[in-house]
Amino acid sequence: MSQPTVRLRDVSFTYDPDVAAIRDLSLELYPGDILAVFGANGAGKSTLCYLLSGIIPNIWGGTRTGELEVFGEDPWGHPIHHSARNRSIVLQDPEAQLFMPNLQLELAFAPANFGLPRAEILDRLAWALKTVGLEGLENRNPKALSGGQKQRAALASALTMLPGLLILDEPTSQLDPLGSEGVLEALRAVVAKQDLTTVITTHKVGEVEELANRALVLDQGRAVLYGELDEVLDQVDRLEQAGVQPPALRRFFHLVAPGRTDLAVTPEAAAEQVRKLVAEGRLQVSPRPATPTGAAPPAERAPVLQIEGLSFSYPGHPPVVAVRDVDLTIGEREFVAILGQNGSGKTTLVKCIVGLNRPQRGKIRFRGESIAGMSVGQVATRIGLVLQNPDYQLFSVSARAEVAFGLENLGRRPEEALVQAEAALVRLGLEEHGETFPFRLSFGDRRKLAVAAAVAMGPEVLILDEPTTAQDYRGRYQLADLAREMRDREGRTIIMISHDMDLVARYAERVILMLDGRIILDAPSADVFDELEVLTSTFLKPPDSALLGRSLADLGVPRGTLTPEQLADVFRPTVGVR
Amino acid sequence: MQSIFDYVERNTLIHRLHPMVKLLHIFLTLILIVIPYWPTTRDLVVLLIWVGLNGLLWAISRLSLRQFGALAKVLIGTFIFILLMQSFLYRGGTPLLAFADIPIWGGGNLGVITREGLLFGIILCVRILAAVFALPLFVATTPVSSIMAALTSLRLPPTFIFMFVSALTFTGMIFQMWSTILDAQRLRAFDIEAMNLIRRLRRAYVPVLTPLVLMLFRKGNDLQIALESKGFGAPGRRTEMIILRFTPVDAVAAMGIFAVFVTALWLKYS
Repeated sequence: MSQPTVRLRDVSFTYDPDVAAIRDLSLELYPGDILAVFGANGAGKSTLCYLLSGIIPNIWGGTRTGELEVFGEDPWGHPIHHSARNRSIVLQDPEAQLFMPNLQLELAFAPANFGLPRAEILDRLAWALKTVGLEGLENRNPKALSGGQKQRAALASALTMLPGLLILDEPTSQLDPLGSEGVLEALRAVVAKQDLTTVITTHKVGEVEELANRALVLDQGRAVLYGELDEVLDQVDRLEQAGVQPPALRRFFHLVAPGRTDLAVTPEAAAEQVRKLVAEGRLQVSPRPATPTGAAPPAERAPVLQIEGLSFSYPGHPPVVAVRDVDLTIGEREFVAILGQNGSGKTTLVKCIVGLNRPQRGKIRFRGESIAGMSVGQVATRIGLVLQNPDYQLFSVSARAEVAFGLENLGRRPEEALVQAEAALVRLGLEEHGETFPFRLSFGDRRKLAVAAAVAMGPEVLILDEPTTAQDYRGRYQLADLAREMRDREGRTIIMISHDMDLVARYAERVILMLDGRIILDAPSADVFDELEVLTSTFLKPPDSALLGRSLADLGVPRGTLTPEQLADVFRPTVGVR
Repeated sequence: MQSIFDYVERNTLIHRLHPMVKLLHIFLTLILIVIPYWPTTRDLVVLLIWVGLNGLLWAISRLSLRQFGALAKVLIGTFIFILLMQSFLYRGGTPLLAFADIPIWGGGNLGVITREGLLFGIILCVRILAAVFALPLFVATTPVSSIMAALTSLRLPPTFIFMFVSALTFTGMIFQMWSTILDAQRLRAFDIEAMNLIRRLRRAYVPVLTPLVLMLFRKGNDLQIALESKGFGAPGRRTEMIILRFTPVDAVAAMGIFAVFVTALWLKYS
């Protein structure tokens, strides 16, 4: 057997001053291995990437014990440019790693630093661009590329060093489905052509199910599962304990056929397997009506938000039309998801709704009252928008002051504002952090704080922009759970912008699908997931569990069966038969 | 919105010129605006010749004055301030208009506009204008890649060159972040643009600057990781990817610019 590319024996690492990130980790990787690393936020995934790439200890300091070897030598004690000769890292934020004025210089940056001949660099560059599907864009400014293209450019830039070890730290976590698919396709091409060792960390287990051959699950820095990918993913309970979302089909089979292995990983193959299990008498079918949402259909609800003939263009030569002729009515207590790829007009539309964008044409009414003459602050007392990244708004010395800020701007007396802020913190479960400096909170809690700041202003409609971005399995549905609770208990109307189909399947009762600034579909969620062609045209794909349910309709799976749990309600294991 | 320092892609003579020719133009502009001037019509003409050359180069490069945008407002305010200050505070000189008799120390009169004061104010404004017009002729017509190559050919250290390029990149990023932060705070009824100057100065910038500074620290850190993990700072000579060629057109352009410079200087000192 060849020499291992990576060898860790009982490695522990603690960030200065005393934050343990990796504990007693042992693993070996050989050329050709593709290791998927799963774990909740803070589990140690990025730390492992930094240890392997030499970023630790050269940029981030700390204390390490145990043996670590990459290509037979310990990266500790070598400058980072020494490590950069045979390994490359791709980070999660595509913006952060592209800094040159055009793609050619971006890709040439690393080999040029090592003084490689210009002709050789150009050859490598052409190969890397072709591999990631960006040929012809050499002279394009990386900043002008789409999110997915940027991440593919970052991957190409990593490839030009012809690394023996490629490290990818959540490369798709900030991308829409189209962008993610582009990166994964490029990655498949890379690992197919190269005899390299790859380490990829991700929250989206399904994405690497057909890519990786080995898997490591970290929980608070410890390896709780490590081995062949299939064997690891079959441990559904242990994955969930570690805060890792198992793929939908594995979760379904775990519920209806626990302990079975060699289960299908595609909806088509899974449907065949279910039919076989039913035919063999191992599964019983107990058809049920679709899970009721408990809410009245939209037509019966009083309209809270009415939009007529709305169009918005960004200034330019020529102007960029972002929203075209949108008509939309949203009723009280609705839970609506707005779907669409980046650039489809979702965010521009909600920015018009909250008054941040003033539309050139059309009307927006809240409870029959036009918002045209209102300031953004006045609209915020009726319609609250929680932006994707809370760090663009946090500045106060404490969480309580942060929430009170908006109320004081509305003219509330400081004492009154603090009382209302406290109430909002309690509602979001942040009462223990009232005096905490906001930037000391975890990312999930910072997002909750941003929701508290919006909720404190008393809006009847709450809009959440991409509530699952950069969140792990545990944190992923936290905001959506809170939003649903606010809808159920307080009668608020919830609008979510997302391209997370699992999230939509679990929470939304109505889906609005946007493409090129227009609404192309507006229907109950259950119906939208049946519109495969329309979804495909916007590069969205229903969750595998919804696809499986759809293909088993003839066995009695009702329409609107979207989640593995709903599906498992229909199929029950036959008692005594395995 | 595009700033006057952003590269504007066009295929004009100025865009095609060797960056060193454009750097020469910047260098000569610097000389012309720092040498001492007197409040005379001749000195004003000297500067106007150079501003005229800049205007011609702007026209050839098809840069749009619209790009000045917000900067134009600041410039107009600055020019009015300079003209008023110089007109009234210039000591001595020929009275043009008298409003009152308020003598000040050194022989000036706060109630009188003098010809020399006005002329000196105009000369100061034209010097600023010459500088402001000159820089975009370099940065807005030269791709950053060519700027890097030109700076490299001047044998400047790679770290300096990279700092220069990063500054250009970060400028765009700061504008973008600024706008997102303003939106986020407007959603909390905090509208900086609707506030008067005193209120802005008193409390407005903390909610905007704090997130901006913290985000910039984070971005800076990410940039360091990205740079160093790509071998930045590795020993040995870097490979130059962009090879610039000096053509006869470049030579003619450089001589033309230099000729205008010599003419202006001759006029001033003859």
